[in-house]
Amino acid sequence: MALEISLKKRILRDALISLFIYALPVLLLLGWFAYKGEKPWQNHQKAVQTSARE
Amino acid sequence: MVHLIEDIFKNLNGWGLVTLTFILGIAEFSLGLYGKKWNTNEKLLDIACFTLPKLVIKPLVAYVGVTFLPLVIPAAKDSLTWIPFAFGALIIAIYDDLTQYWYHRLHHQVPFLWRFHRTHHSAPYMGMAMASRQNIIYTIFFSQTYLTTVLVYVGLGYPALFVKGLKSLITLLAHSSIKWDKPFYEIKWLNPIAWVLERTISTPATHHAHHADSADDGVGYYKGNFGNMFFLWDIIFGTALITRQYPAGYGIKNYKEEEWYAQFLWPIFKSKKEGSELSKGGPEVEDEVEALQPLFEKAEYHAY
Repeated sequence: MALEISLKKRILRDALISLFIYALPVLLLLGWFAYKGEKPWQNHQKAVQTSARE
Repeated sequence: MVHLIEDIFKNLNGWGLVTLTFILGIAEFSLGLYGKKWNTNEKLLDIACFTLPKLVIKPLVAYVGVTFLPLVIPAAKDSLTWIPFAFGALIIAIYDDLTQYWYHRLHHQVPFLWRFHRTHHSAPYMGMAMASRQNIIYTIFFSQTYLTTVLVYVGLGYPALFVKGLKSLITLLAHSSIKWDKPFYEIKWLNPIAWVLERTISTPATHHAHHADSADDGVGYYKGNFGNMFFLWDIIFGTALITRQYPAGYGIKNYKEEEWYAQFLWPIFKSKKEGSELSKGGPEVEDEVEALQPLFEKAEYHAY
């Protein structure tokens, strides 16, 4: 049994909105660090590299 | 204080929730909230759904987190531990619950998927006993479980502890036959809190409506109210109905009291009940005409 076209369109539209919602907390996180002028992921990378050398 | 809260959630994610489910289940049963509908077939199904996934699925998820992911993405382990707790919690909450919203919604809207979710809706009652009542295939492919396992693996385990605990509490209480939300509608000064609550999280009123056996009374709404922890998704996508009332009947109209093992293990085991959706050669969706009705014309939420 096939899906109705209107339902398909509705699902597709809501899926696109969902992609935006999934991106929201990541964008918020990056915005927060941009505002604070911090790049904690760089410190984390350095720490990982240092511990790997030890 | 922080340690106390941490301990509570650690406990909840361990055996705490199972114990809580038992206690509430016993309370519901003692209060006669299941009526006479909890017969042997229903009991066996609810008990199988409650216990067996814990013995099969939990080790599978543990295997994914402990063995499979380190093999496939070894460098990603703990790579996001720099994310602050609040953001980690927000990420887990949205990713886990929005994914479950879609998983759930598609099982209602795609006819091919309906029979994998039907077991959860066949119960003619609400309560703790049916909160985990699902077909095994539906449980195995619970998409958000694996997504959250990946997020825990990359370093969001600590916020996940709290979000998962809170989510389990909300979804358990939304399925309960104890209508904890009723005072919020009846006591006037609590009304504003109710307004926020019912739009944010799943409540017995909105989730019971999803389990109604009919939509004719304007209270039941099994074609919407798909949210699990957050009801907000239903508000955003127009699949919400808020009435602050509880349906008169639960379950599905075409329920033939299919054998517990067929409901639990379909399509591995099929029902012997003639004409059943779970029988050999049975219809994908029995009320096909009704299922094809436009789903969204009625999808509006009451102006409370």
